[in-house]
Amino acid sequence: MTKRRNQNDENLKLFDHNPHQEHLKKSRKRALVIITVILFCFVVISWRLVDLMIFDHDKLSRRAAQQYQFKKTLNPERGVIWDRNMKEMATNIDTYSLYAVPKLIKDTRSFSREVSPLVKVSYKDLSRTLLKKRKKKFVWVDRKMEPEAVRKVRKLMDGPGFEALGMMTEAKRFYPKGNTASHILGFTDIDNIGISGLELYYDEFLKGKGINVSVSTDARGNSLSGEIDDNVSGNNLLLTIDEGIQHIVERELANAVEKWKAKAAVAIMMDPSTGEILAMSNRPTYDPNLSVKGPNRRNRAKFEKFWGDRRNRAITDIFEPGSTLKLVLAAAAIEEKVVKLDDMFDVSKGYIVVGGKRINDAHKMGILNFSEVIQRSSNVGSVKIGFRLGEEKYYDYLKRFGFGDKTGIDFPGEASGILRETDEWSGISLAELSIGQEIGATPMQIIRAFAAIANGGLLMKPYVVSDIISPSGAVIKRTTPEVERRVVSRETAETVKNILKMVVEEGGTATKAYIKGNLVAGKTGTAQIFDPKKGRYSRTKYVSSFVGFVPADDPKVALIVVIYEPQKQIYGGVVAAPVFKKIVENTFTYLGVPMERDANKIYLVTRSR
Amino acid sequence: MNSRYTRDIVISVMLLVCIGTVMVYSSTALMSMRKYGSGSHYLWNHIFTLCVGIAAMLILSRTDYKKFRSFVYIMMGFSLFLILLVFVPWIGISANGARRWLRLWPTTFQPSELVKLVMVIFLADYMDKNIHRMREFKYGILIPVVIMLIFQGIIIAQPDFGAVMSLGILTVGLLILGGARLSHIGALVLSSLPVIYIVVSSSSYRMKRIMSFTNPWKDSFGDGFQLVQSFIAFGSGGFFGVGLGGSKQKLYFLPEVHTDFIFSLISEELGLIGALTVVGIFVWFFIRGVQVSLRTSDPFSYFLTMGLTMMIGVQAVINFAVSMGLMPTKGLPLPFISYGGSALLINMCAAAILISISRQNENNAYNSNPVYNTHRRSRR
Repeated sequence: MTKRRNQNDENLKLFDHNPHQEHLKKSRKRALVIITVILFCFVVISWRLVDLMIFDHDKLSRRAAQQYQFKKTLNPERGVIWDRNMKEMATNIDTYSLYAVPKLIKDTRSFSREVSPLVKVSYKDLSRTLLKKRKKKFVWVDRKMEPEAVRKVRKLMDGPGFEALGMMTEAKRFYPKGNTASHILGFTDIDNIGISGLELYYDEFLKGKGINVSVSTDARGNSLSGEIDDNVSGNNLLLTIDEGIQHIVERELANAVEKWKAKAAVAIMMDPSTGEILAMSNRPTYDPNLSVKGPNRRNRAKFEKFWGDRRNRAITDIFEPGSTLKLVLAAAAIEEKVVKLDDMFDVSKGYIVVGGKRINDAHKMGILNFSEVIQRSSNVGSVKIGFRLGEEKYYDYLKRFGFGDKTGIDFPGEASGILRETDEWSGISLAELSIGQEIGATPMQIIRAFAAIANGGLLMKPYVVSDIISPSGAVIKRTTPEVERRVVSRETAETVKNILKMVVEEGGTATKAYIKGNLVAGKTGTAQIFDPKKGRYSRTKYVSSFVGFVPADDPKVALIVVIYEPQKQIYGGVVAAPVFKKIVENTFTYLGVPMERDANKIYLVTRSR
Repeated sequence: MNSRYTRDIVISVMLLVCIGTVMVYSSTALMSMRKYGSGSHYLWNHIFTLCVGIAAMLILSRTDYKKFRSFVYIMMGFSLFLILLVFVPWIGISANGARRWLRLWPTTFQPSELVKLVMVIFLADYMDKNIHRMREFKYGILIPVVIMLIFQGIIIAQPDFGAVMSLGILTVGLLILGGARLSHIGALVLSSLPVIYIVVSSSSYRMKRIMSFTNPWKDSFGDGFQLVQSFIAFGSGGFFGVGLGGSKQKLYFLPEVHTDFIFSLISEELGLIGALTVVGIFVWFFIRGVQVSLRTSDPFSYFLTMGLTMMIGVQAVINFAVSMGLMPTKGLPLPFISYGGSALLINMCAAAILISISRQNENNAYNSNPVYNTHRRSRR
C-alpha cells in the first residue's frame, strides 16, 4: 500500500504538469455525477427486477398459465350411418379449413386482396370481417375447401407475410350414394350439426359427446401437447333401409315422374310384420353433398325450392287419399258385421246425391256385391256402405287405423294429418270420408294402415333406425318391432286381404299391378286436389296412388306409390300401379324371393276344399 | 495489476456475447423451425456476425485508436452517406414500416448503429480540440448540436426513434463532460422537450406506445400487449427461472423476443439470478470502462473512453428499462446479447476501441487520477 501511495504522490506531480489539468479536473467531477446517475439506474433496474420476478411472481404466473391453457371442446367425429347390410350411407371425409389470426395481420387490405381470390369469400366480406375482429385470435376465412384451393393457399402460406394464416383439418359429412335416400339421411350444416332427416333426429347420438379439455398452446393457437386423443367418435346408426331396394325405388320413381311429368312423388316400402321401413323416396330430390347453406328467407322462390327439394313428403305432407281409404271402410264394415260379402249394392245410376252434393262413379257399373264395390272402387257403393256403418263407428275405425295421429316414426317433422271429430262433421262428411275425402293423411299413415291388414290386423309403429351402435361396436339402443294396437280381428284382415287381391285381378282397377309369379293385394287411389283459391276440388290436379302388399298371403313387403299431379293420365291404376309392379318385381329379384304362383294355387285349392 | 481492466473488459464482453448466443438460439429456434424448416437459421446468422465482430475486435484492439482522429471527418461523411443511402430504393430495405437497413449481401446493415460510434469518436476529437472554448455557446453547444441534429433529422425519417434518443443522450452526456456550461445544457434540454412532444404526438404509433406504457394492462391485448407479455415473462421466471429453453412466452406471445425483449426471455428462463447476473456483468463492464477513462492522460482518450462506456451502458439501461415498463417502448437492442448484426458488430468495435485504450494507457495508470486521490484523502 505504501508503495502505491508513493506512486500516487508522484502521479500528482505529473498531474500538475498536465496542460489540460483544470478542464479535466472539472470534467471528472461532472463524470462522477453522470456515473452515479447511470449506476443509480442500474440499481433501480435491479429493484424492479426483484419487484416483478419475486413480488409479482404469483400474480403473473397465474396470468401466464391462463394464456397458455385454452379450454377447447373436442368435436368428435360424427357417427357413420349404415344401411341394414352395413353399407355406408353417410360418413366423413377430411377437408381443410383456413383461418386467420387478425392480430398478426399488418395490412388487412393487401392481405385480403391476396387471399380472397383463392377462397370462396369476396374481398369485401373478408376485409370487413378481419377489420371487425382485428383484435381476435381466430377468424375462419374459408371452410372445407376444395383440394385445388387448398393447394393454392398452401403455396401462398409458404411465402413471407402470411404468418397470420393457418390451416386446420375438419371432417366434412359425405354421402357416398349422393341423392339416394337423401331425404331419409337429411344433411348437416358447416359445423356438422344435423339440420334435417335422421341427421337432425339422431343428432345427439351421432355427434357424440364433446369433451372439454385444457390444451397448452402457443400464441397462435397451435397445440403443444400431442397426447390428447381427439379421435372420439359419435355413435353410428344402423338403418332398416336396404340400400339396394332404396336404389330401385329411387330409380323407378324418377322414371315415373319423368313419364307422367308429375310435380312430385313418394314411395315407401315397409316390412308389414315389423314396421321397418325398407325404402323411402321422394321426388323432387337433392344431393346432400352439395350446398349445405340454405338460401336467405327473403329470396322466397329460392328458399321454397331449396326446402321443397329437401322435404320428406312421405312424412311431412298430407293429401286426401281418396279410394285407398276404402280399405278402412271395408275392414270396419266387415268387423262390425254391417255387411256380408255377398250383399248387393245398386250403383247403376252412376251417382248418388248426399246433402245436395252429387258424388259420381268413374263410370256406370250396374249392381255390385260388397267385394266388387271395393274391387272396382265404386264411390256410390262406398257411400252406401258408409251409411250402413254410421259416423261414430267409421270415425272410431279411422282413429284406430292411426289416421289423425302421428305414426311415431323416428323422424323429425312428422305431420299428424287431419281427421275432424264427428261433432264437427257436416251432413255430407260421412259420405265424403267413405270415398277418402275430407281427410288429410300422410303416405306413411296409409302404408301403415295397409300393413296392418297385411300382417293380420296389427297396427305397427314404423321405424327407420334399428340399432344405435357405439364407436366400440356395442349396441346402445335397439329398436324392436312395436305393436300399437290390434285394429281388426285376424279373420277380418284375411277377408279384406282377399278383396284386395281382386283389385289386381281381372275386373279390378289395378290390373297393371299384376305381378307374374306373386299375388298382389292392393288398392288404387285417385283423388282430386282441393284448390284453396277456388274453394272447390280442382278438375285438372289429381293425386294418383297405389298401395299394396306382396305376396298377398305371406306379405314380405308393403308398398305405397303416390304420384302428385300426373299429366295425361290421372287414375291410380294407370299411373301408380305400374310403378308398384316394377318396384316389387325388381325388389323380389334383388331379395331372391321365389315366385309363389304355383304354391298359391295349391293353397287356394286347399282353402276351397 | 495494470492489465486487469483490459482483461475484465474482454471477459465481460465475451460472457455477454456467449449468453447472447445461447439466448438467441433459445428465442429463435421454434420461429426459425416454422419459417425456414431449420431451428438454427438465426443462430448461424448470429454466429457469423460474431466471427466478423471478433475479427474486428482483434484488429481494432491492436490498432492505435488515436489514428482515428486523422480521418474522423471522413468517417462522419461516410456514415452520413450511408444513412442517406437507406432511402435509395433497392439498396435500402424497409421492414415493419421502417427503412433502416442497407442491403449488404448476404446480410443487411443498419447505418444508424454506426452513427452512434462515429458520433462518439467525433465528439471526443472535437472536444479535445476545443477544450478551452467549450464554455462558449458557439463551440460548447451550437456546433456539436447542429451536427447531431443533422444526423437525428435523417434518422427520424427512417424512422428510428430509439436511435435518435440514444444519440441525443450520448451527445448531451459528452457535452456535459466536455465542459459546456450547465445553463446552456439545461436550456438545450428544455428547448428539446417541445420538439420531442411534437415528434411523438405527430405519429399515432409513438403516441400509442407512450399511452400503453403508462398503463399496459388497460389494453393488454392491443397496444399494451407487448409490455404485458414482457411482464408475464419476468413474473413467471421467479427466482430460479423456468429453465433454459423452457420459456413459453417465446411461443409468439412476446413479440421481438430475440431482439428488443431478449432480457425478458433471459429473466423467464434463467430467473432473477440469471437476470441479475446479466445486469451485474454490464455494471462490471461499465465500472471497468469508467476506471480506464480515469486512467487516461489526455482529453481525447478520456472523452472517447467515457463516450464508449456510456454508449454501451446507456443502451443497456434503456433496454432493461423498456422491457420492464420503466420507459416507453422503443426499438433498442441489448448490447452484445440481442440478435441483430449491426448493433452487435458496432458494440463489439466499441469494446475493441475501449480495450485498445486500456492497453495503451496501462503504463500511465494513476498518473492523473484526481478522483482516486480525492478518495484516498477522504479515507485518511
